[in-house]
Amino acid sequence: MRKIIVATAQIAFLAGALSSGSALAESVDIPILVPITGFISLEGTAQRNGAVQALETPPAGVSVSYEVSDTSTSPEVAVNALRRAISKGKPVAAAASIFGTQMLAMLPIAKRAGLPLITVSGTAKLTELGNPYIFRFFPGDAVVKVAHARYAVEELGAKRPAIIYQTTSYGQSGRAELARILTKLGAPPVFEEALSVKVKDMLPAITRARAAKADMLLLHLHSGSTALVVRQARGAGWDVPIVAGSAMHQPTTAALLRPAELKGVCAESASSPISESTADVKAFTAEFRKRFKTEPDAFALGQYDGIRMVLAALKDGAKDAEGVRAWLSSHTHKGLAMTYKSDGKGNMAHDALILCYDGSGNAPRIVKRYDNVDGVLE
Amino acid sequence: MIDALAQLTVNGIALGAAYALAALGFVLVINAVGAVNFAHGDFVMAGGFLAVAISGYLPADLELPGLVVLPLTMLVAAGLGLLLSLIAYFPLRGRPPVSVFISTIAVAIILQHGTNAIFGPAPRAAPPVFGDGQVDLGIASVSMQQVAVIVVAAVLIGAVALVLSRTRFGRRLRAAAQDPEMAEAIGIDVPLMIAVTFALAISLAGATGALLANQFFVSPDDGGNYMLKAYIAVVIGGWGRIHGAVLGALLIGMFEVVVAAAASYVVAEALLYGALLAVLVLRPQGLFGEAEGRRA
Repeated sequence: MRKIIVATAQIAFLAGALSSGSALAESVDIPILVPITGFISLEGTAQRNGAVQALETPPAGVSVSYEVSDTSTSPEVAVNALRRAISKGKPVAAAASIFGTQMLAMLPIAKRAGLPLITVSGTAKLTELGNPYIFRFFPGDAVVKVAHARYAVEELGAKRPAIIYQTTSYGQSGRAELARILTKLGAPPVFEEALSVKVKDMLPAITRARAAKADMLLLHLHSGSTALVVRQARGAGWDVPIVAGSAMHQPTTAALLRPAELKGVCAESASSPISESTADVKAFTAEFRKRFKTEPDAFALGQYDGIRMVLAALKDGAKDAEGVRAWLSSHTHKGLAMTYKSDGKGNMAHDALILCYDGSGNAPRIVKRYDNVDGVLE
Repeated sequence: MIDALAQLTVNGIALGAAYALAALGFVLVINAVGAVNFAHGDFVMAGGFLAVAISGYLPADLELPGLVVLPLTMLVAAGLGLLLSLIAYFPLRGRPPVSVFISTIAVAIILQHGTNAIFGPAPRAAPPVFGDGQVDLGIASVSMQQVAVIVVAAVLIGAVALVLSRTRFGRRLRAAAQDPEMAEAIGIDVPLMIAVTFALAISLAGATGALLANQFFVSPDDGGNYMLKAYIAVVIGGWGRIHGAVLGALLIGMFEVVVAAAASYVVAEALLYGALLAVLVLRPQGLFGEAEGRRA
């Protein structure tokens, strides 16, 4: 199904626009092509909401219109949505799917059309293809998995970690990075298991991880699977520390679990809007709650920051897609979650953090920040 | 090792019991109308969300809200079953079975996207039927919800079997399913029997969803998976065979859990579909034989 929501953002503060020499007179198009149905719709909806919030509050003098298209879970639907967006006008950039499999299919088309794709997909391969039209505003696996593995080994003392990951491209990409870094840190995984998103009974994987004498559980799973493993591991009386992927930082994932089940559970993420105390992030969170009646997560904030950077490019005089691409490639942008700068491959985010639940509630606390992990920021 | 095996067996039985409940509803519709209801899995999913929604209206201090939620979910689901028959079956009655396939696929998609629009994409959890907690059996620990799944599935499957085999109403249902023309000739209201069958089948799907949504959560896109499990159970058990579908589902639940524990989930899935192919090639009538004339 294709679900479309059409809206147009206002021209704000006309006087301010007129006084700015670089302001655009015409409205520009920034389509949102994300999965809002299917197994990754939770993350895709967060992504959409972040993009919408950014587009609905453009800087003075910038006028944008946008259309939301559901890419569901198949590459074909995503490709069709992108082709349709390109054929309908001259978009200057597009908010593109968090689902790595879809991004891999969309990238060649974006390159041919010269359209920058703004995404929060973590799949490592996306920025390794030499495509200059991808800009990732969520730390890729090469960043977050460093934080994930280092926290497990250096802070929690993992010596025999087990990895449970999803069979999707997201899961496989994260597993490869985790296994590589853990081995480098001297704690190679003693057990690895891939799960389809349809698997509900996690006990077989938990039983085998215990049999392998794992001393820690590292998860790289989507939301529902993450909550199921945590619940069933605790239900089976296995109290080892669990360091999960970014799905565990999502408020909707934590809401599925009781505080006692969350004790000893940590997660990597790019940010955690509900845990941050800075005024800007608090304002973003309050506006997000008011607008969408739900809690924001790191995907929403990353996508918001990405679209804000595109809007900053337009404000600064970028006139078309090529202008936006060139601006994104060469400028540094201070967003709400972090400072963004391209590493030359389109990786814009270089910080990660670790959040932990202490068993007293469902809101995590930031326990460790890993800034500029890949050394891109000066 | 024995403890782990016992624990896995308990999990397999609980999972299989839930699949059996879903497969029972699925096969009832096949028998009644000779066509597959491809929306059955999505009604299992809808049952989960119904349980979540109903629990939201109950007093927060209610003890064991699941005991109230389960029958209410089944009641609402029965109404949805009637609606399904009116929308997706009766207007197409007399047309080739493929028409019903397509119409139920459409209903499945509407259910999935409708649920996503109403409840959002996040997984949700329904309340437990008998409360939280574990029962320690010595060599294995059983959660109260697993006990609930096994007990409720056994009671409902037993009740359906009893109604179908021992009551006048059940005999009418079976007569309408087996030979509609003859049943009509002797005065049985066949459309009514078909509508009741849809209501009963979707009510069972609703119960399955309410039971699974506590232990395994529920997401709008869960339906396809349950549909597939019910379909495989029916193929393995014997197309149109009620007890075959139930036993087939129990086998699938056990197989999934035990093989995944011994090897991996990927191997378990590959072997399950391998077994399905083997049954189709070597014993196409299923392990317990095919009910005559049921295959569309």
